[in-house]
Amino acid sequence: MKSLTKFATLIAASTMLVGVGAATVQAADSLYTPNLTYRTGPFAATGIPIMNGQRDYINMLNARDGGVGGVMIDFDECETSYNTNKGVECYEKTKGDAIVTQPWSTGITLQVLPRTNVDRIPILAPGYGFSPMSDGNTFAWAFNPPVSYWDGASMILNGISEGNLDNLKGKKVALLHLDHPFGKEPIPVIKALAEKHGFEFLPIPVGLKEMQNQSAQWLQIRRERPDFVVMWGWGAMNAGALTEAAKTRYPMDQFVGVWWSGHDADLEALGAKGKGYRSLSWNVPGNYPVMEDIKTHVVDAGNSMIENADEMDSTFYQRGVVMSMYLAEAIKEAQAKFGTAKINAEQMRWGLENLDISEEKLASLGMAGMTTPFSTSCSNHTGHGGAWMLRWDGEQFVQDGDMLSPDRDLIMPMEAEKAAEYAKNNAPWPGRGDLACD
Amino acid sequence: MELLYNIFVDPFIQMYEAPDFLLQVLWEGLVSGVLYALIALGFVLIFKSSRIFNFAQGIMVVFAALTLVGLHENGVPAWLAVPITLGVMYVLAVGIERVVLRPLVGQPDIILFMATIGVTLFLIGFGEFIFGGENKVMITEALGIPTGALEFEPFGGFVLIEEKDLAAVIMAVLLVIALLAFLNRTSMGRAIRALGDDHQAALSVGISLSTIWVIVWFIAGVIALATGIVWGARAGVSFALEVIAYKALPVLMLGGLESVSGAIIGGLLIGLLEKLFEIYWGQPLLGGNTETWFAFILALFVLLFRPQGLFGERIIERV
Amino acid sequence: MFYKTSGQFKTSYKSDQALFPVKQDAWLLIAILALAYVVFPLTANEFTFKALLVPVLIYSLAAMGLNILTGFAGQLSLGTAGFMGVGAYACYKITTIFPEMNIVVALALSGFFSAAVGVAFGLPSLRIKGFYLAIATLASQFFLVWLFEKWAWLYNYNASGAIEVRTMDFFGLTVTGPTATPLTQYYFVLGIVTVVTIAMINITRGRYGRMWKAVRDMDIAAELVGINLMRAKLTAFAVSSYVVGIAGAMLVFFWKGAAEPNLFDIPMSFQILFIAIIGGLGSILGNFLGAILIVALPVLLNVLPDLVGIQVHSAAMEHVNVMIVGALIVFFLIVEPHGLARLWGLIREKLIIWPFPH
Repeated sequence: MKSLTKFATLIAASTMLVGVGAATVQAADSLYTPNLTYRTGPFAATGIPIMNGQRDYINMLNARDGGVGGVMIDFDECETSYNTNKGVECYEKTKGDAIVTQPWSTGITLQVLPRTNVDRIPILAPGYGFSPMSDGNTFAWAFNPPVSYWDGASMILNGISEGNLDNLKGKKVALLHLDHPFGKEPIPVIKALAEKHGFEFLPIPVGLKEMQNQSAQWLQIRRERPDFVVMWGWGAMNAGALTEAAKTRYPMDQFVGVWWSGHDADLEALGAKGKGYRSLSWNVPGNYPVMEDIKTHVVDAGNSMIENADEMDSTFYQRGVVMSMYLAEAIKEAQAKFGTAKINAEQMRWGLENLDISEEKLASLGMAGMTTPFSTSCSNHTGHGGAWMLRWDGEQFVQDGDMLSPDRDLIMPMEAEKAAEYAKNNAPWPGRGDLACD
Repeated sequence: MELLYNIFVDPFIQMYEAPDFLLQVLWEGLVSGVLYALIALGFVLIFKSSRIFNFAQGIMVVFAALTLVGLHENGVPAWLAVPITLGVMYVLAVGIERVVLRPLVGQPDIILFMATIGVTLFLIGFGEFIFGGENKVMITEALGIPTGALEFEPFGGFVLIEEKDLAAVIMAVLLVIALLAFLNRTSMGRAIRALGDDHQAALSVGISLSTIWVIVWFIAGVIALATGIVWGARAGVSFALEVIAYKALPVLMLGGLESVSGAIIGGLLIGLLEKLFEIYWGQPLLGGNTETWFAFILALFVLLFRPQGLFGERIIERV
Repeated sequence: MFYKTSGQFKTSYKSDQALFPVKQDAWLLIAILALAYVVFPLTANEFTFKALLVPVLIYSLAAMGLNILTGFAGQLSLGTAGFMGVGAYACYKITTIFPEMNIVVALALSGFFSAAVGVAFGLPSLRIKGFYLAIATLASQFFLVWLFEKWAWLYNYNASGAIEVRTMDFFGLTVTGPTATPLTQYYFVLGIVTVVTIAMINITRGRYGRMWKAVRDMDIAAELVGINLMRAKLTAFAVSSYVVGIAGAMLVFFWKGAAEPNLFDIPMSFQILFIAIIGGLGSILGNFLGAILIVALPVLLNVLPDLVGIQVHSAAMEHVNVMIVGALIVFFLIVEPHGLARLWGLIREKLIIWPFPH
């Protein structure tokens, strides 16, 4: 009987809550920029360092400059565990006062994409999401700077062919990818390039349940003997693939990963055995003045979630910093244009659309050379800057060669075509609607 | 016609033409099979003695491996970390027995099954809370497991055998021998088997249900730790490891829920067959990644003809 | 006192077998329906619709489908999410091939696809049962998700590899897509769930329901009294998968708006099984109670710290949340293994004799 009363109170308490719903309380004079994080679940290994970097940069701005343009930034996290159901919940919970939403996971991005048109909130998805989002005239509210996955595929091929794709003629390129929309993303571009330049393309899918046990995939690689293996992996898949590659003695200098497959911790586990592995990255880790500021104002002040200061040197942490820099710079652009410090979501959209990350600006932020310069426009929501190859030298990632750029002539028409197809499938799709391009 | 050729002729030609590769495939299959068998053993032990289908076995593997690595990270030497981990698994076993199983004695099977899923969820949350979600590296070297590789060159090709895989196989064999000896030679082992045969009769001759349950769960914990070390050495330790629990299920269907030997043979069989199927049929013909379902479909077909599984001790659930 | 049954005499078999043998039950139901149809729409905000009410209704429906199979016909299934996926993909294909088709017709049709797949994967139940059957249903689960991933025709060769829901009208009212208001979607879902629930109550009380229960309680005895086991089991699979398929289609069309194949992976199957079991096997009401506990409670737990003004980090909250849900499942199984529906039954009995103890 005692448990019955307990149960009754539980029911009563929950019914009371239903009416209240989500009352996320924000201070009136701050800008609310929620981040839909995944610090738990099978992909947490990738998520945690990046999200720490994102959070710490904003905290640094708040501590050092008192926010952006005199307004504090309320950088709230809502945990999704990479689960799309939680994604709906988090988006709905945070959208009220949000000036931007950062959905992470391609799946959540796809779910949120049509709604942001109606709710009029811009999506900021740096380095992930759906490549055709670059077409700003179709996807007016979505931004994926500085490069898209399609750009990434093209840059990796440029990198491994040493600048001339015809060098790949007659060779075999395997794509070891997560069998999931994210992993399938580069396939159309590599396929198109394979036809154009006469190399053989072999996709090798890794199931979500097989991420940690890729022996079948690496046996296939041993049988097919591809000249290059390109990896599109996430979370636990990267460590699994690198271990198997070392085990089957696949030459590491013919093994290249996308930017999510370059987590320092995965390679530290291999040490010298991983020497020669390359990962594309649109940020170069190093000692930048901005990192000093983060250390003084956030890490030393005990406001960071990282466990020791060494984690600040990792590529992923610094990538998180770069992502938040885009966010802060877009806020600045919007503040300057509209003459108000407390901008709204629509003004923020304008800021993201007119983002100009130049060399000078990077230098003034203490981030010279840390990431690729680029600028966005009405028709170009990605910026398509560029990226570097980072090579694992046995102890750390070092920059390998000059910045690579994507083959935009090939990708642009593909983006336009797929964007049009998306708009058609989701008709009536608003497109730019009433948003002026200025 | 070409399809038929690709299904029935081409794979065998490939096997014949590259025998060294076939050997490598078989070895990889064998190693996976050993791991599946180990997990299935954990299930079988608990099912045999308590009729509980313990879904938490998968998370116990993760939990044991994380505890071991976590202890070592905090400066506990490996020789001490292993017994402490075993201690933690014992506490876990007692905890599950006291808090979850004892109040549920006599409930229908499905309720007990759901309770173990509840335990799984709890342990996932608890584990992430304590250890965090990052990937961790198994302390292979500290445990004295060799990390080199042996290279053989039969048929003009080469076969690579990782020493740690070899160690895994040897460890699994020793564990199984020890387990069989325990079950068949000691009075405690006989008590466990008696309980599996008939609860009432076992109780009436003075076998203590709660003691046996704690012991069985503890043994399952030991197996979990062994699996965790072996699998962790291969692929790193993270919560994504939990999905390997699913791999044990078709093994159980094939081998029978109550048969120790069935779990071992079923595990090896599935490990070998799914690898062969994936390499020679799945990848060329079906777009790959067939390992997620092959074992299940195989077990399903076997069950249609032999409903008690290959080694089921008796026809229990026949319609 | 409030639930006094004295004075309500049954004078015929028919009245004794009526849906509401006790008058108060009917009143209670009317009150609940009034709450769902009038009070919630008037008071709820967008978050409540999207994160609580609509998912609770859809998950209840899926659990109801599973309950037909597991609770009424006694066949344990772990493949629910796969069948939901079949419903969702079928509905997606139907609405893209026949864009003019009414969404309700498309939903009803997509149920037939999942029913057919359900029957096919139900065939092993004629040979095996218990845990062996449960594992066998996992075969469908893993195979179907793999198929959703590999068969590009199913998602119309979309670059994203996912299915996306376009805007659709129901007699001039926008019900799917981003422009549909949460209120419309809620009423639409509520309407369908009400209709299906009424149908299920009647089926389970009728000839087939009794047949299933006979098979569940003792299959040999059922066979001896002349029940065709094959027919009973396969109809249970068909009806169950039909309802589950509709729930899957609604999940994507009226709640999420887009879906990747791995949405229909095993965690969702377990979640629905939890709802059915915590709610109470063999009960229709239980599915709703279970869904409130399993779907809505975690959402409420997430907003709780904000409401009371404690600062808890979102990730830590998520860990605690998973632990609480796990612990609650164990707790409820221990307190009342027959589910919340049974708990309500006990409360009702107490109420009837209240204020007297016996």
